[in-house]
Amino acid sequence: MDASNLSIREINSLFTKKELKPSELYLKVFENAANSEAALHAHLTLFEEENIKKAAESDKRFNNGESDSLLDGIPIAIKDNINIKNYKTTCSSKMLSNYTSPYDATVIEKLKEQNTLFTGKTNLDEFAMGSSTENSAFGLTKNPWNIDYVPGGSSGGSAASVGARSSIAALGSDTGGSIRQPASFCGLVGFKPTYGTVSRFGLVAFASSLDQIGPITKTVDDSRIIFSFISGEDSRDATSVINNQLDIPSDNTATIGVIKELMEDGISDEAKNEVNKVVEILKSKGYKVKEISIPIIKLSISIYYLIAPAECSANLARFDGVRYGLRVDGNTSYEMMENTRAEGFGAEVKRRILLGTYALSAGYYDEYYGKALQARKEMIDEFAKTFKDIDYLISPTTPTQAFKSGEKTSNPLEMYMSDLCTIPANLAGLPAISIPTGLSKDQLPLGVQVMSKPLSDNSLLDFSEIIENEVQLDGQPKGWL
Amino acid sequence: MSNEFNIKNIAKLASINLSEEEQDSLSNDLSIILEHVNALSDLKLNSQQKEIFIHPLEKELELQEDEVVEFLTHDEAISNAPESKDGKFVVPPSME
Repeated sequence: MDASNLSIREINSLFTKKELKPSELYLKVFENAANSEAALHAHLTLFEEENIKKAAESDKRFNNGESDSLLDGIPIAIKDNINIKNYKTTCSSKMLSNYTSPYDATVIEKLKEQNTLFTGKTNLDEFAMGSSTENSAFGLTKNPWNIDYVPGGSSGGSAASVGARSSIAALGSDTGGSIRQPASFCGLVGFKPTYGTVSRFGLVAFASSLDQIGPITKTVDDSRIIFSFISGEDSRDATSVINNQLDIPSDNTATIGVIKELMEDGISDEAKNEVNKVVEILKSKGYKVKEISIPIIKLSISIYYLIAPAECSANLARFDGVRYGLRVDGNTSYEMMENTRAEGFGAEVKRRILLGTYALSAGYYDEYYGKALQARKEMIDEFAKTFKDIDYLISPTTPTQAFKSGEKTSNPLEMYMSDLCTIPANLAGLPAISIPTGLSKDQLPLGVQVMSKPLSDNSLLDFSEIIENEVQLDGQPKGWL
Repeated sequence: MSNEFNIKNIAKLASINLSEEEQDSLSNDLSIILEHVNALSDLKLNSQQKEIFIHPLEKELELQEDEVVEFLTHDEAISNAPESKDGKFVVPPSME
C-alpha cells in the first residue's frame, strides 16, 4: 500500500489506528517530490525542514490519542498566490520574486488550526492569468500524465503536485476555471465553491468579483473535507458570506440539465462523450435529465475578457515599486513606476492590464465594461431561472483534453477559449466542480463539470460523489511514486 | 464598438513603459481580442444594470465599525519596501 494514494479519511484512519505515522507519510510525499519535481516543476518552493518538525508533533498527538482533526498531519500544497507568513509569495512573477509575506491568508490560518502540513508553494501562471502554467516567470510545469502536455492553469502546479502525489491535496484559486481546468487535465477533482463562502483575505487579488479559493484533490470527499475547514464568513473580506448551505436533493429525485451551448461547436467529441456517458449512468439510476439552453453562455468569453482585465488593471495598480516588490530606477517617481511595471510584469499580465485599462478608459467605459456588466447580470438571471426547474447542470469541464506545451502560446484568444465551459460559474458566482471521468485516446484525463445554485455546495459535493462512485479513471499517472 | 486605440496612450494610463516591439505585438493581440468581445455589441439586453458590479450573489455591502485590531507592526508593514529610511518608504522625486 502506498499511503500517498489514499484519501484524507483513509489516511486519518491509519493515523488514528497507529498503523501509519504523519512523519512516514510526509517522508513518502517528499520522496515523491524528489522523484517528480525535476520533470514536472510543480512546486516553486518545498518546506522540508519545517515539516519534519511539524510531522513529528503530529506523530506525538496521534500517539497520545490527542488529535481530533481530519487534516492533522495531512501534507497540502499551496498555490503561490496565497500568503503564508514568513514565506515568499511570488505569484510566479518577477514583480514579487523577493516578496516575503508578513501575514497568513485566512485559509492558511484555518488550516494551521487543524495542524495541516504545507508541502510548499506551487507554480502558477503569473498572477493566476493563464490556462497552462506557461506564463510563470519561473519556468513551466508539466502534466504528470504526460510531460509533453500542459497541466492546465492557472493552478497547474497545485494540480501537478496532487497528480504526482507530492502532496495529498492542494489549494488553488479559480477566477475563470483555474482550479477546475487543471484538475480536469490532471485527472483530479477540482472544486470552486460559491463566491464568498471562502475568504479571499491573503489571496493576491486578480479579479476580485470572480476570484475564489478552493481545493484540488484526488476524491470528492477530500474536497468536501477541505471546504468544510476553509469556508466561513470573514470580516477581513467584505465580500465573504455566511456559509448557510441550501439543501437540495442529490438522490434520483433531482433533475439534471445538460447545457446545450456547451455541447456544440468548439467542444471535442471526446469531451461530449464523457458528458453523455455520465448522463446515461444517471438516467439508469432514475434521474430525470433534460437538455437546457442558456444562450448567453456563448458570450461568456467576451464578458469575462472585459470584466476580469478591468478588475485586474485596478488590482495590479498596487505594484508600483514603492511599498513592496521589484523596483527599477527612474529619474522621477513616475518613471520609476513605468520602468518597474515594464520589467516586473510578463506579456500576458501586460496584455490584460492594457485591455482592462482600455475597457475602463473615458469614452469606452459604457460600450465595453458597462455592457459586460449588463450581460453578466443577465447571465446571473438566466441561471436563476434555470435553477427553478433544474438542480444540477452538467457540461464538459474543458473543450478538449490537455493540449501540448507551446501549442497555444502564440494565440491568446485560442488559449482563452479553453476556459469556455468554466467561466460561466465565476460570472454567476455558482459552485462548480470538475470530476475525472475517463481517459482520451491519448491516455490523458477528461472531466465533467457539475454546477448548482449558489450556496448549495454541500449538495453539489454529495451529488458529485454519486457520479464519482460510478465513473472512475482507469489508471493514474505513472513513474512518480 | 470601435477598435481604434492608441497603444501608447493606454500604456501611459497603465503606467507601463512598452518597447516598440511590445507596442506592435500587444496592439495586434488587443485588436484580435477586442474583435472577439465586440460580439457583445449586438446583444439585446433586458438588464439595465450599469452599476459597478461587486458581488455576484448581490450581497449588500455594509460598512463595518471602526475597530482597532492588531495586525502588522510598522516594521512588518515596511519589511518588503525596496527602499526605506527611518520607517518610511523612500521614492525618487515626484517632480523634475
